[in-house]
Amino acid sequence: MTLSYMKNPIHLVAILVCLLYGKALLAQFPSTYIFQKDDTVLRTQYLQQSVNKHKAAIASITQYSSDYKEFYNQQFEQAEGFWESTRPVTAPDIQAYLQEIVQKIITANDELNGTDARIVFSRDWWPNAVSMGDGTIAVNAGLFVFLENEAQLVYIISHELAHYHLAHTQSAIKGYVEKINSKEYKDEVKRLSKMEYGANRKIEDFMKSLAFDSRKHSRDKEAEADRKAFDFMKNTGYDRLAVKSCLQLLDKIDDSLYFPNSFSVNTFFNFPEYAFKPRWIQKESALFSEMKDEESFRDKKEKDSLKTHPDCSKRIALLQNDFDKETANGKLFLVNENLFHQLKRDFYFEMMEESYRSNSLSRNLYFNILLLSNHPDNKVAVYSITRCLNDLFALQKAHKIGLTIDAEDNGYPQSYNLLIRMLSRLKLDEILQVNTYFSKKYYSLVQDDEAFKKELIRLHDFKTN
Amino acid sequence: MKRLRKNLSDYMISKQINYPKPDYMKKHLLMMALAIMSAFVLVAQKSTLENVYKLSMRNSGVIKEGTEVKGYFLFFASDKIDKNSNEYTLQIIDNNLKKLKEIKFVDSKHVAILESSFNGTDLIFLLYNDDENTFEYQVYGADGKKKYTYNRILTKKEDRYLKMTYLANNGDDEDTYKGIYPIEGLGFISNMPSREDKDYTFQLDFFSTQKRKQWTYIPTLGGKKFIGDYLGTANGVVYISILKYSGAFDKKPESVIVGLSLENGKQLFEVSTESKQLFYPSSMFTLADGKSYMFGEYFDPSGNIAKDKSVGFAFWSMNEKGKIESEKYCSWSLDMSKFIDVSAKGKIDDFGFMFLHNMVQTADGSIYAIGEGYKKVGSALGIAAKVLSAGRTSMSTTKMKITDMILLNFDKDFNIKGAKIYEKNSNNIMIPDGMDFSSTPLLGKMIKYNFGGFDYSYTQVTKDATSFTVCYSDYERSKDYKGSTFNAITYTEGKITTDKINTKSDATSSIILPAQQGQVLILDYYKKAKRLDLHIEKLN
Repeated sequence: MTLSYMKNPIHLVAILVCLLYGKALLAQFPSTYIFQKDDTVLRTQYLQQSVNKHKAAIASITQYSSDYKEFYNQQFEQAEGFWESTRPVTAPDIQAYLQEIVQKIITANDELNGTDARIVFSRDWWPNAVSMGDGTIAVNAGLFVFLENEAQLVYIISHELAHYHLAHTQSAIKGYVEKINSKEYKDEVKRLSKMEYGANRKIEDFMKSLAFDSRKHSRDKEAEADRKAFDFMKNTGYDRLAVKSCLQLLDKIDDSLYFPNSFSVNTFFNFPEYAFKPRWIQKESALFSEMKDEESFRDKKEKDSLKTHPDCSKRIALLQNDFDKETANGKLFLVNENLFHQLKRDFYFEMMEESYRSNSLSRNLYFNILLLSNHPDNKVAVYSITRCLNDLFALQKAHKIGLTIDAEDNGYPQSYNLLIRMLSRLKLDEILQVNTYFSKKYYSLVQDDEAFKKELIRLHDFKTN
Repeated sequence: MKRLRKNLSDYMISKQINYPKPDYMKKHLLMMALAIMSAFVLVAQKSTLENVYKLSMRNSGVIKEGTEVKGYFLFFASDKIDKNSNEYTLQIIDNNLKKLKEIKFVDSKHVAILESSFNGTDLIFLLYNDDENTFEYQVYGADGKKKYTYNRILTKKEDRYLKMTYLANNGDDEDTYKGIYPIEGLGFISNMPSREDKDYTFQLDFFSTQKRKQWTYIPTLGGKKFIGDYLGTANGVVYISILKYSGAFDKKPESVIVGLSLENGKQLFEVSTESKQLFYPSSMFTLADGKSYMFGEYFDPSGNIAKDKSVGFAFWSMNEKGKIESEKYCSWSLDMSKFIDVSAKGKIDDFGFMFLHNMVQTADGSIYAIGEGYKKVGSALGIAAKVLSAGRTSMSTTKMKITDMILLNFDKDFNIKGAKIYEKNSNNIMIPDGMDFSSTPLLGKMIKYNFGGFDYSYTQVTKDATSFTVCYSDYERSKDYKGSTFNAITYTEGKITTDKINTKSDATSSIILPAQQGQVLILDYYKKAKRLDLHIEKLN
């Protein structure tokens, strides 16, 4: 269960930078950053709880054993993978802040007393929050950095808690397993398997109808979680109209067309001694260049039927009566407004670094170029760009660079697409040249940084070997 | 020979698909997933449906605009409609592996796609029905909608030739028969040879993509049999090289260049290639100034193209009226020998004869020719078969040895400035009996188009011509590595580099396909994990 399906999450970054680097915040963005130190003991405890929940789920199976096991195992793998990675933020100060907010929700709702939900921030860059069904709930840095106040964060946590509390994942699994083991389903499969002609078309229609049912069920559950979240917020002291403002925010993130490009590769990688080469981004002719996206596969009705989440405007409409009755007595901040804003800045670095750790190098480079384009004195960005270009060189030499670069996509901002295109066209030697002149340009800013010096040595080794 | 080639369909029907994980959005681009996503997303949910839902992969291929790879197509039978027909799905994927379009249609169960091509705006697919012996050309516009369909019935001779050559070579669109040529923004030319024993001819068709219009050219006058090669189109004229034989026993064909009107297919001129020398053009390319040149080997003016050894290679430019505007000849003995050790008849020591695959002009005006060596050697197997069968075997006593790659550098006036041989392991091709005494240029064309015997794959040039990459396959037997390799010679702003990718890796097997300029698409198949990873990689 997730808060919202983001079609084009990368656009968040463009908006985010615009928001973060507004005049008020511009001066506050640090030029260096000390990464958060996680509490590994806590992470291990949370993992153990997931292990125990999984065992209990398996032990509770009374029928359709293999089907249930398959789903429970998939569910566990997701949670296990999360807790064993560097993605969860378990740094004590941040976790204490988050738990104080969570506690306000639990205290205000007796039914949540004793919940074993384990709620953390995640370093994932894409704007989302997720309830994994076993009590693991993550709010992505890529969503948090976009929020305007604690009240919106409270809505997001409440929404995910609602999914868990109402056992939406478990009921979805149960519904599906029972469906595929029903006589009606089995008879239909048997009938289809005996068809000699036109069987695949019938099967496709049959499976499509199952998918539509399942997605409709998901959308209903989202609406239910929104309502429950609105209820959960009632006695927390937070402004419940934040639900509306948060949904409006999410809707904007979904709309990719409004966001401006914030840098141009042509100028960023143009150096006095080494000019930008137009062929790095020259447009090529393309198949079906005039075909509109919506014409490609499914018609709009079918696309809508396959969505797991209703549109945010529809979600707002479902709660509009409640919004109208709501008086603006609640607060936007109750725990720590300064820390909230501090974390919004910190999480930009955290998710940027996580994209590097997860080998999303084109994205890591994009985040850093955005940062440096807006903060030319940012040492973290200079070091990270040099490091990333060195890594790209090594990967290209081994013919593995393609595993770390995104493919161009109409949904991405133009600046990111051009960066991807450039990365996919730079020759081996050109990566070295670009890195050489980039590091030379910013040398005076970071010359004393030990990590940067190591990258310069790497660069030198690449050139001489 | 086809070391790196394996039909993608081998991998298409695997049930286990490693989808890009939505959580980390990995760049493991999976063509299988792209191909049959809609089916298997759902199939994966319940194993009992797997045995019911079957897709039968027909073929797949690369969509190119000249030398540039623009995408890929996957063609499969997605359903049985009745005992005679299937529902087919044609999926079109761009060069970033993004699925662009899925076209479904019902047709005979005997249909396959032979070839596709892109002319900068429109896309064409050639569908072949092996039961009714028909070709259907489907044209799709830039908006993804079908524009026109052109049909034609193949003659028995054409069908037989197709089965002997193209289909016998597994439908490889790169090295063997290549019948559809794009004309930017205007349409496509199709060249279809037909041969039976000693009866040769060919048919040239033009299919317009601007409006529904088609014309056909079949040579008839002045000869009994014809070998025709489409050279290129420039300034509204379609240039064809034709060898005309006066009869079945004619051993000295006449070589001519025929110009056709692109507008209506009418013959504009027929010019003999006997000028200062006897020229046998193999292809045509256009320089940056828009002027087109034919290139190929040449012979003594009184020589015989079908039998003699060539004297060198030549560049001709010809205007729209068939007037030869310039002729430049580079002889093996005088010009080439300054750079490479060449015997008097064009045989470079150890390298053999040179087959020119392509010509490229770079941004600085230099011209590069990409060639590959081949030479005749005695076939022990053929000789043994001949002795044992008292001469009744059709197996030739000669085999062709494919040797190294060569890159020749010319100035803008076609004077040789340099040449370099790039060594590779040699292959052998057995040639049919009766071809032992054919001339080397004719044998070169046979190796290229009939047997798919060369290791050369393709050349790609950047739009601004500051860089080009020549790709070819090889086989390595060193102590560190034994297996196929994919090789590249890359020119970038005056500097030439080479690169090699071993196709044996930690993956069970790997396939390398052409991708965008300077890149390849690598498919790593992991048998144990039943996983296929696709990633686009740059050539260094």
